[in-house]
Amino acid sequence: MRQKKTFAFSMAVALGALAGGCAQQQAAAPPQAKVGEAAMMAVPADAETKADWTTYHGTWRDYDFSGLDQINTDTVKNLQVAWTHDPGRDTRGLQSMPLAEGGVLYYSGSYSRVYALDGATGKEVWHFFPTVDEALIKRQTHSPYNRGVALGDGRVYVGTVDGRLIGLDQKTGKKLWDTKLINSEKLTVGFTGAPLFLPGKNMVVIGAQGGEWPYRGPLFGVDATTGKRKWTFLTVGPDAKSRATWGHNSWRTGGGGGWMPGSYDASSNTLWWGTANPAPLYDWSGPDWKHKGARPGDNLYTTSVLALDPDNGTLKFYHQELPHDAWDFDSAIGEFVQIDENGQHLVVHPNKSGYIFVYNRDNGSIVNIWRITENSNFVKSIDPKTGELIGRRDFTAGPVNPPLCPAIDGGVSWNSGAYDPRTGTWYKVGNEWCIDLKVVKTQPILEPQAQLNIGADFHEVPPPGQDKIWGHVDARDPVTGQIKWQVKYKEPPLASLLATAGNLLFVPDAEGVLHALDSRNGQELWSHSDGVGHDGGIMTYEAGGKQYVAVVAGWGGMVTDGYPKMFGEPFTSMPRNTGVLTVYALK
Amino acid sequence: MSRSGLAVTAFAVVLFLAVPGFAAQEKPMTDEQVEGLFASVCGFCHEDGGRVAGKGPQLMGTKRSDAFIINRIKHGKEARMPAFGDQFSDAQIKSILHYIRHLKPE
Repeated sequence: MRQKKTFAFSMAVALGALAGGCAQQQAAAPPQAKVGEAAMMAVPADAETKADWTTYHGTWRDYDFSGLDQINTDTVKNLQVAWTHDPGRDTRGLQSMPLAEGGVLYYSGSYSRVYALDGATGKEVWHFFPTVDEALIKRQTHSPYNRGVALGDGRVYVGTVDGRLIGLDQKTGKKLWDTKLINSEKLTVGFTGAPLFLPGKNMVVIGAQGGEWPYRGPLFGVDATTGKRKWTFLTVGPDAKSRATWGHNSWRTGGGGGWMPGSYDASSNTLWWGTANPAPLYDWSGPDWKHKGARPGDNLYTTSVLALDPDNGTLKFYHQELPHDAWDFDSAIGEFVQIDENGQHLVVHPNKSGYIFVYNRDNGSIVNIWRITENSNFVKSIDPKTGELIGRRDFTAGPVNPPLCPAIDGGVSWNSGAYDPRTGTWYKVGNEWCIDLKVVKTQPILEPQAQLNIGADFHEVPPPGQDKIWGHVDARDPVTGQIKWQVKYKEPPLASLLATAGNLLFVPDAEGVLHALDSRNGQELWSHSDGVGHDGGIMTYEAGGKQYVAVVAGWGGMVTDGYPKMFGEPFTSMPRNTGVLTVYALK
Repeated sequence: MSRSGLAVTAFAVVLFLAVPGFAAQEKPMTDEQVEGLFASVCGFCHEDGGRVAGKGPQLMGTKRSDAFIINRIKHGKEARMPAFGDQFSDAQIKSILHYIRHLKPE
């Protein structure tokens, strides 16, 4: 159980950290705590990985934390590249989270190419290149990147951008089943996010792309053995209650994809999943959004956290984080940090707006809400007890002034933070950027193929009163938001973070440098360039008794395409459509 | 395993019968309609309605030829721009070209 921490950080130090940092420098005086000096808490077996990393966040508690400590604060200076692997056809970069089991590393690249590699040498065990609808991919906006595979019951599962979920034999890579779940040729959306395997349930779940396409964001529960679909959950308008929250029958084109994998709480048999924004992204309702605009009403169940019964796909309970989201601040980030504290079962979920929601995971009631970004003006605040949006900005058609903060790219992005269960510290990236926005009335385009429905012209700008966009990695209490230290970065880091029992926090940055920080104070201990920007996963595993750290690098995503204009070099010269998996080990 | 999509197709039929779009018509679009199109589909990359460079190039004042622009709209460019040749008619693509050629600073 998580207990009250004894870190010697005061709020004064924390505020000093916020005010005084500079690019890639530690912002607060490091504490003097040594390993074991601070109150190290007992770590449940399902809270940390050891030799294997078998699901997107390491374990189903979503900690992105490993108990391996061969690579630690003392030895990290000897960390070097062990091997690399290029998946080929790196269109839109490399954005996936590698997995590992039994000394074999599994990962995916664009076009849903899947590789199984010897974890110690990088030698190929097998590969699987699915035949995908290349003509469709040419018509899709975001394709054909892939953000990961799932492992379970001796199979590897991968989604495709043409709407299929495929099951492979884990030992051979042979295709076992191939199930078409969504009519991507008509609806444009497919699957780019990783599936989620549910242990003990013979079930794999996957969600469709995007909130900006005018469909209804289904989630699919699929029999892991046969590939047969067991259930479909339409995130928009699945029931009368939901449809009543969409004026003008706008639920028919509502958006709300669940484009990142959720999480599973086996103790209550609950599937947690986040949904995307409604379409169009930006609405012109003005303050009377209950009755006016493109989609009058709350727009259930978009920008919501859902608790589903995985056996049949029915909704147990939910919380809509942003009713009538008019700012493209999804709840689709698939990070559900499950913490047990003082007898409470909690789940911490970051919303794209930069607000962090803490729920009682027994019933979805709000425990606390706090904000990780400094610059935010889409609401004045969110009531931490009730979740009410206070002072919300609902635009009419035309220019918006002042700029909307955070930017469409998110106060937090879709990649994951990391939680150290020994110290109760959550490491998470926050982004400080805004957009100049002009809201424009649009109508859904459905024929002959569904198209994006954004509803605005915009471009990114620094926060008001500042001359630069920037980002930061924070160490915080995930329940209260209390800050322990912060490191600032010249550009928002977009990739996932990794924390380990070696008291290390790995931060893959946008310029392509992998940083190893002392997780107790943010002090940088080691760094190495992977040659191209990071925009995907990082994990650690063991093979042959040796610890490895695997990180993907590759550039060309929808957010990263904006970096040359925002920051100039090195992004102006950074090659796009590149990708490399780099695996590190000690000398 | 079969790739059955019958139920999904049924949803799609309901969806598209219920809400007709304005695309794939032979008649040209007005500049106002194209502005809406940019705010819906194109503006994520061609920012401020194509007036400034962003994730995609600035279109206002482009030196590219008509043939180049029409070809790019129809066939796209891998990993940079989708192909819209099956989405919009020749008349509509000419309307988009007209909009681009007459873009003015706001």
